Amino acid sequence: MCTIGEDDFGDEGAAHAMVPESSDSGPIMGGTCTKCGVESEFVYQLKFRTAECKGCFLSYARHKFRANLGASKALPKNAEVLLVVDGSAESLVLLDMLHYAQTQNTFKRLHCNARVLIIDERALREQPDDDKSLFAILQELRIRYIPFEFYVIQLGSSLNDLQKLDEYVPKYGTNELCSTLVKLRSLTARQDYLHQQRKIFIASVAHKLNCGHVFEPSISTTLATQLLTAIALGRGGSAALDVGLQDDRLHSGVKLLRPLKDLNEQEVQFYVDAQKLKPFMSAQQYGVKCGKGASLQNLTHAFVANLQQNYASTVSTVFRTGDKIAQNQQLPQALTKLELGKSDAPSMPFVCVHCLSPLDCALSDTLLAIEYSRAVSKAGTKCFAADELETKAKQQLTVERTLCHACRNIQAEFSDDSRL
Amino acid sequence: MPINCKSSCGKKAVLKRPKTGDALCKECFFAAFEAEIHHTIISSNLFRRGEKVAVAASGGKDSTVLAHVLKLLNETHDYGLELVLLSIDEGITGYRDDSLETVKQNRDDYQMALKILSYEELYGWTMDRIVAQIGRSNNCTFCGVFRRQALDRGAKQLGVDSIATGHNADDIAETVLMNILRGDTARLRRCTDIKTGGGDDTIPRVKPLKYSYEKEIVMYAHYKKLVYFSTECVFAPNAYRGHARAFLKDLEKVRPSVIMDIIHSGEQLRFKDSVKKPVRGVCARCGFVSSQQPCKACVLLEGLNRGLPKLGIGKKSKGDRMIANQDREIALRERANLVKNDF
Ligand SMILES: [Zn+2]
Ligand SMILES: [Zn+2]
Ligand SMILES: [Zn+2]
Ligand SMILES: [Zn+2]
Repeated sequence: MCTIGEDDFGDEGAAHAMVPESSDSGPIMGGTCTKCGVESEFVYQLKFRTAECKGCFLSYARHKFRANLGASKALPKNAEVLLVVDGSAESLVLLDMLHYAQTQNTFKRLHCNARVLIIDERALREQPDDDKSLFAILQELRIRYIPFEFYVIQLGSSLNDLQKLDEYVPKYGTNELCSTLVKLRSLTARQDYLHQQRKIFIASVAHKLNCGHVFEPSISTTLATQLLTAIALGRGGSAALDVGLQDDRLHSGVKLLRPLKDLNEQEVQFYVDAQKLKPFMSAQQYGVKCGKGASLQNLTHAFVANLQQNYASTVSTVFRTGDKIAQNQQLPQALTKLELGKSDAPSMPFVCVHCLSPLDCALSDTLLAIEYSRAVSKAGTKCFAADELETKAKQQLTVERTLCHACRNIQAEFSDDSRL
Repeated sequence: MPINCKSSCGKKAVLKRPKTGDALCKECFFAAFEAEIHHTIISSNLFRRGEKVAVAASGGKDSTVLAHVLKLLNETHDYGLELVLLSIDEGITGYRDDSLETVKQNRDDYQMALKILSYEELYGWTMDRIVAQIGRSNNCTFCGVFRRQALDRGAKQLGVDSIATGHNADDIAETVLMNILRGDTARLRRCTDIKTGGGDDTIPRVKPLKYSYEKEIVMYAHYKKLVYFSTECVFAPNAYRGHARAFLKDLEKVRPSVIMDIIHSGEQLRFKDSVKKPVRGVCARCGFVSSQQPCKACVLLEGLNRGLPKLGIGKKSKGDRMIANQDREIALRERANLVKNDF
C-alpha cells in the first residue's frame, strides 16, 4: 500500500496540485501600454501582468532590484561593490541595472562604487574560447558601462595576477585548483569543491579591491536549483545562505548579495531584449557537458529545467520555500555547551574550515546512524555490545571535526591524502 | 572475482549495502540490518517496557519486515512489548483484498493479534466508490487522509501506546523533496521526525525503519523468504510525490548515500520567525487531531456526502464558497417549491 499517501495532503498554505503550464516567454507585439497609455511598436506581456511598453517594463524590473537592496538595508551608503560578470544574461542584466542606478543624477541614484570582475575560467575547460572575440566583447562592455572599472583574473591564480581589462594578458596552463580538481573521484565532489572555492576566491579578490560587498547575479530559477542542490549535498543547515539575499559566510567579512533574486527567467529575457544586451559565454558551468546523470548537481539542474518547462509555478514555489528558511543557528551554541567541559574547547572551531558553514556533525542522529551502519557492517555476526559499536560510531563522527558533513563528503573523495 | 564479507567472517559476500557500500554475506547482513533497527529504537527511546504497540500492517514489504524485525528484537533484547497488527481495508478491489490475505498470513506466522478496520464501516464509503465519484486524479488524497484517521481510530479501539509505521529512509527523503516542491513548510518541519504526535490527545507514531534503505528492506525480505504483497497501489500517487520519487531515484543512482544526506538536510532546516506554525488542535466534529476546523477527513467526507467531491481538495476559501453556493441553491429550490405549493 502507499503508507506514504497519508502525508501527501497539505495543510493550508501548501500547493495541492501541480499545474501543467509552459514557461513560454510570450509574443512581443505592438500595442498600447496599459500602464502609461502610450502606443508603441513593442509591448512586453509578463505572466500575471498586463502588456506594457519598454519604459514601463524596465522601471518595473529595475524596481525589483532596488527594492531588494532597499528593503533589507543590506547595502550601506557609499559601499564599495564588486560585481561578478560571467557573460550570462543575468549577469549582464545586473550590470546594466547597476549602471543605470548609478548614473541617475536625481535623488534616485544608488550611492555605491562599483567595480566589475571577469573571472577567466577557461583553464577549467578543454577548449579555450577565441581570445580575440572575447576581449573585443569585453572592451565593448567596458565602453558601454563607463565609468565602471573592469578587472580580469584567472580562477585559482594568485591575487598578484589581478589586472585591469586593458592590461590583461591571458596565461594558459593549469594552476593548483585544476590539479586539486583532478584528484577528486566524482564530478559531484568536483563541482561542489569548485563552487566553494569560487566563492572563497571571489571574496579574496573583493578584499584586495577593498570591496565589502559582492553582487551575484542569481535569479529565482537559479536559486530554486541551488536550494535543491544544497539539500541533496547534505547542506540543509546552511542552505538559507545559499539562496537568500545575503550570504555573510565569506572570508574577511565580505558579504555576498543577490539583488536579482526575485527576477524570473522571463523578466531576464525581456530585459535582455529591451536593452539589447548580448550574453556571451552562456555561463557554461564546469562539468555540465558530462550529461545529466554525471553528478547530483547536473541532475538537479536538469530536474528544475524540466519543471520550468512544464510546471513553471512549481519552480517559484521551490524558490519561495527557500525564502522561508533560516540558517541553523542552534548548531554552534549547542556545540559550545557540548564541548565546554573539554580541555580543547577553545580550539574547537564552530564553522567548517572549508565552506565556513556551521558544523553540523556532532549532534545528528542521522549521521550517527550512517557511522553505526559502517560499524555494524564491520562487526557482522560477531557479538559486540551495542554501546561499544555506538562508541566507535561516535568516535568516527569526530574524526574530521573541523569539516561540515558535506565537506567531509568532498574530503572522502580525494584519491590521495589531500586535505581540504 | 567473488568479494569477501567486510566483517572478515571468512564467507563470500552476497550483496553490497547501498548505504555504506560495504559488501556482506547473508548472515552478517541480517545481523547488521537488525542491529541498526535496534540501535534506532534504543537511541531514540521509541518504546518503553510494558507498552502495547500497533504495527500498521498493509501486507507490503515495509510493514511485513517491520513486524518481523520488531517481533524478533522484542524477543532477543527483551523489550517487554505487546505487539499487535493493525490493518486498514480501504476497499480497493484487486489490491486490498489480496494484500489483506498477506496480513492474515503475517498474523499466523508471527502469532500477533490482528485488527482490521474498513473505510466502509468508518466512513460509509469504499475507495472503489470514491474513485467512481471523483475520478482518478485526487484519489490518493482521500485515501491518505482517511487512512491517517483510520489508524488513529483503530489504535484508540485497541488501546495501544503507539503506532509503528513502515516508513523507510527512501520514503522520508522523498517526503522532504516533495514538501519543498509544494512549499509545505508545516510538514517540512516535522516530516523527518522519528516520533510524531503523542500529546494529550494523540497516540504517538514512530518510524523504526527511518534509517533503513528500501533496497535493503527488499533484500532482507528476499533472503529471509518473508511473504509480502508486492503490487503497487492501483491508483497513481500525487504528482508532487511522483516527481520527487523519480528525482530521488535518479540522485540515488549517482550517489547512494544521498538518501541519508537529504534526511540530514531536512533535519537541519530552520525557518524564519515570520513563517507561521500550524496550531494543532482537535476537530470539533469528530474529535480527532487536526490543525484545521473541521479536519480534512470531515471536509472530504462532507464533500462526498453532499455530492461535491472536490470540496477540500483546493483551498479552504474555495470550499467554503462551494458549500455556500450549494446551500443557496438548495434554499432557492426549496423556496421555489414553497411558491409552487402556495398555488
Ligand atoms: Zn508604458
Ligand atoms: Zn563545509
Ligand atoms: Zn559475513
Ligand atoms: Zn473531523
